[in-house]
Amino acid sequence: MADQVKDLRRLVIKAFHMTDVEWGDHNDITTDGHMTVSKEMLDQLVEQEKDYIEKIDIQIIKPGDHDRWTNTIMDIIPISTKVLGKIGEGITHTVTGVYVILTGVDTVGKQCHEFGSSEGNLKEQLVLNRAGTPGDDDYIISFDVTLKEGMGQERPGPTAAHRACDEFIQTYRDKMKKFKGEKCTERHEYHDIVRPGKKRVLIVKQVAGQGAMYDTHLFAKEPSGVEGGRSIIDMGNMPILVTPNEYRDGIIRSMQ
Amino acid sequence: MGIGPSTKETSLHHFRDPLLDVVSQDTDVDLMGIVIVGTPDDNVDKMLVGTRTAVWAEAMRADGVIISSDGWGNSDVDFTNTCEQLGTRGIAVTGLNFSGTVAQFVVTNNYLDGIIDINKSADGTETNVVGENNVVELDCKKALALLKLKMRKMEQDR
Repeated sequence: MADQVKDLRRLVIKAFHMTDVEWGDHNDITTDGHMTVSKEMLDQLVEQEKDYIEKIDIQIIKPGDHDRWTNTIMDIIPISTKVLGKIGEGITHTVTGVYVILTGVDTVGKQCHEFGSSEGNLKEQLVLNRAGTPGDDDYIISFDVTLKEGMGQERPGPTAAHRACDEFIQTYRDKMKKFKGEKCTERHEYHDIVRPGKKRVLIVKQVAGQGAMYDTHLFAKEPSGVEGGRSIIDMGNMPILVTPNEYRDGIIRSMQ
Repeated sequence: MGIGPSTKETSLHHFRDPLLDVVSQDTDVDLMGIVIVGTPDDNVDKMLVGTRTAVWAEAMRADGVIISSDGWGNSDVDFTNTCEQLGTRGIAVTGLNFSGTVAQFVVTNNYLDGIIDINKSADGTETNVVGENNVVELDCKKALALLKLKMRKMEQDR
């Protein structure tokens, strides 16, 4: 007889694979695997964050085309959005084949990192095919922020860079919310399960919480998002409990 | 010291975390949840948040905990204290941490025998290469297998 389990909730993640990423007049993404990137909103993003940000540039990096300069990598972000329910349940749409890399430096060339930095030739500074990095065949959208002098070392600076990047990604999320689910290229179903009588195990993730680019956000509105998120520093670095499905639905935004 | 580029876990890493995949797919264990705990600057705060984490685990009647840290250096103070707080409460603990040749624990105690070194670099250093010393599936399988052994042994010893 099968072990008795209790199913608490279900999360469905539908992935849409992108086969080509090109420049276009506007940011756009379609279920046929085509994505266009525009710089049209960058001036407005800089204006909104003008206390901290001097300039933003975007590059489309083709798979394997990594023999190029990169500023230090602050984060690598999947493009995902909630379609039904809140983080941890319901339906999420995500894309495969392209990931956003947020990089940062200030106007005098100081890299935006606390403890060691990863600027240099991208092909030497990034190991591909890890859980947290793009794969051999993935496109990268490089979102490169130049902060005002010294702002890369003050907490509001990197946070502003993450916020601007999140607003850029949101333009794709808004389109992905309307994707027809049946057009997905992968479908993953996850359940929060209780297994009565089995050994009870807890995972503890110790995350960054000391300030500036050493911060972790939780509870944003969108998966791996910034808007609505709370800083673990502001929550006193106290332990916060999340469900397996909340965690795998992108409840953490890594702000290092 | 804190997080280095080669160990840091990106938002994408958390989204596709191999540790959660490995533990949640094992039908021998009842995964209760994931505790996210920060790494404060101040030493008193480090002890506080780790102790509160262990109290959570105790109150949830956890048999075992796998703890991971995406930084090294002074964050080892938090890490080793949390291991000790869990261990003294009779909870089996294993974990994932970067040591290599440069980052042996700056403090030690009796509850660190189940910690897997996640170093992947040839010379065991912080290479500043993003992703290089990240946790991979094999590390997580080792940590879970070790935890299952420890939990069984603790049960037999009772």
